Amino acid sequence: MQPLPLQSDWAFVAGNLDLLFDGTVFTVGLTATSILLGFLLGFPAGAIEVYGRGPLKRAVETAGVVLRGTPLLVIMILLFFGLSVSSSAFVTATIALGLRSAAYQSQIFRGALQSVDEGQLEAARAIGMGRLQAIRSVVVPQALRRSVPGFQNEFTIVLKDTSIAIVIGLGELLTVGQNLYQGGQSTAALEIFLTVSLIYFVLTFVTNRSLDYVDDHFSIPGGERA
Amino acid sequence: MSDPLLELDDVYKSYGEEQVLSGVSFEMDAGDVDVVIGPSGSGKSTMLRCVNRLTEINGGDIYLDGDCITDADTDVNELRKQVGMVFQDFNLFAHLTALGNVTLGLRKVRGMDKATAQEQGYEHLEQVGLLDQADSYPAELSGGQKQRVGIARALAMDPKLLLFDEPTSALDPELVGEVVEVMRDLAAEGITMLVVSHEMGFARSAASDIIFLDDGQIVEHGPPEQLFQNPQAARTGEFLSRLETAHEEE
Repeated sequence: MQPLPLQSDWAFVAGNLDLLFDGTVFTVGLTATSILLGFLLGFPAGAIEVYGRGPLKRAVETAGVVLRGTPLLVIMILLFFGLSVSSSAFVTATIALGLRSAAYQSQIFRGALQSVDEGQLEAARAIGMGRLQAIRSVVVPQALRRSVPGFQNEFTIVLKDTSIAIVIGLGELLTVGQNLYQGGQSTAALEIFLTVSLIYFVLTFVTNRSLDYVDDHFSIPGGERA
Repeated sequence: MSDPLLELDDVYKSYGEEQVLSGVSFEMDAGDVDVVIGPSGSGKSTMLRCVNRLTEINGGDIYLDGDCITDADTDVNELRKQVGMVFQDFNLFAHLTALGNVTLGLRKVRGMDKATAQEQGYEHLEQVGLLDQADSYPAELSGGQKQRVGIARALAMDPKLLLFDEPTSALDPELVGEVVEVMRDLAAEGITMLVVSHEMGFARSAASDIIFLDDGQIVEHGPPEQLFQNPQAARTGEFLSRLETAHEEE
């Protein structure tokens, strides 16, 4: 059997770069809002899991287990079509990705907070600091540094999971790519996927490098690298 | 007659079934340096931690300057401003420089502005001979230097009483001297110190009193000459001779 001749159609990709660019902007935007929401909810959630007690702690733990155990697809569909939390697909996608990311980020911060030696908190209490103040001034600055590697991971996951927003009609990068060839305008599926992958790779690479820089910049001289 | 600076009155502490302190009572006056010795597990560190309430007691009372500090309504943060602590494992704030370690309490607890806090911080680092390491982070310091920063951090709060929880136990033998020297200076300056330590050199030369704790009870309490040369209890003598043998082997 003769192998099929490899045809490439990069001209088609080049001709649609503007659409891919729009998709990229959407992906970056949705990632940013979702990560931010995830941080704002996930950091306190992690702290409550470590330092909290009673019903609040149990509520946070339960919410985390449910969110981590539910497929993102389901969360997104439930929020949009079931609960109609917002008429905006972008806002809904941010809430869905943000909540799921909060559940993941809470575990990153929980681990980082727990990794700080207990003696640190004790020493802070011993000079007369209140519990909250000691956590804020002594434990949190060390824990944040240690959460950078886990955070890099989470960033990459959210970036790529923005593509699930298609189920509520959001055209981010991957969807734009699929639409291009599924519309029957071209057979250049491979070229499109390679281009889309390259864009994801560049985004991931740049953000991870930036976080490496943050990590270096805030590392403690002579101490362990975060 | 004025109140003793610190008084423990029939203090009890247990962890579940395990009785750690069983009726401990003693007093110390301002300027005293009392050294607590005793076998491992005898309750020395627990007793020390009860004084700044890092550990809560189950019975008895503790008084600082005449005030009962083990009442339920005592503000522990206010208490701890007056009682400094030096830890066996240093527990320096890992993300702060030596100066940052010394000034954190001044700024966050005493509410000083940065410049005033730093000025005082430098003074306390000088007091422990570490002015040149002000900008070093804990991980860049030797064990002896870390502990001296730990002492400066406690001193900075200007406490009425300084607690030392085995301050030299985690140090390499050649680094013990520099820490003991700083402690001797403080003792000579009249700072009130309650020290859990088996540094017999320090105990002999700087202690006002030695407290021998065994099995959660004070077996013997008196000036160093009495305990070292003429111990009243058989257990004290046995413990001290074991300690001396251990030292000679080092």
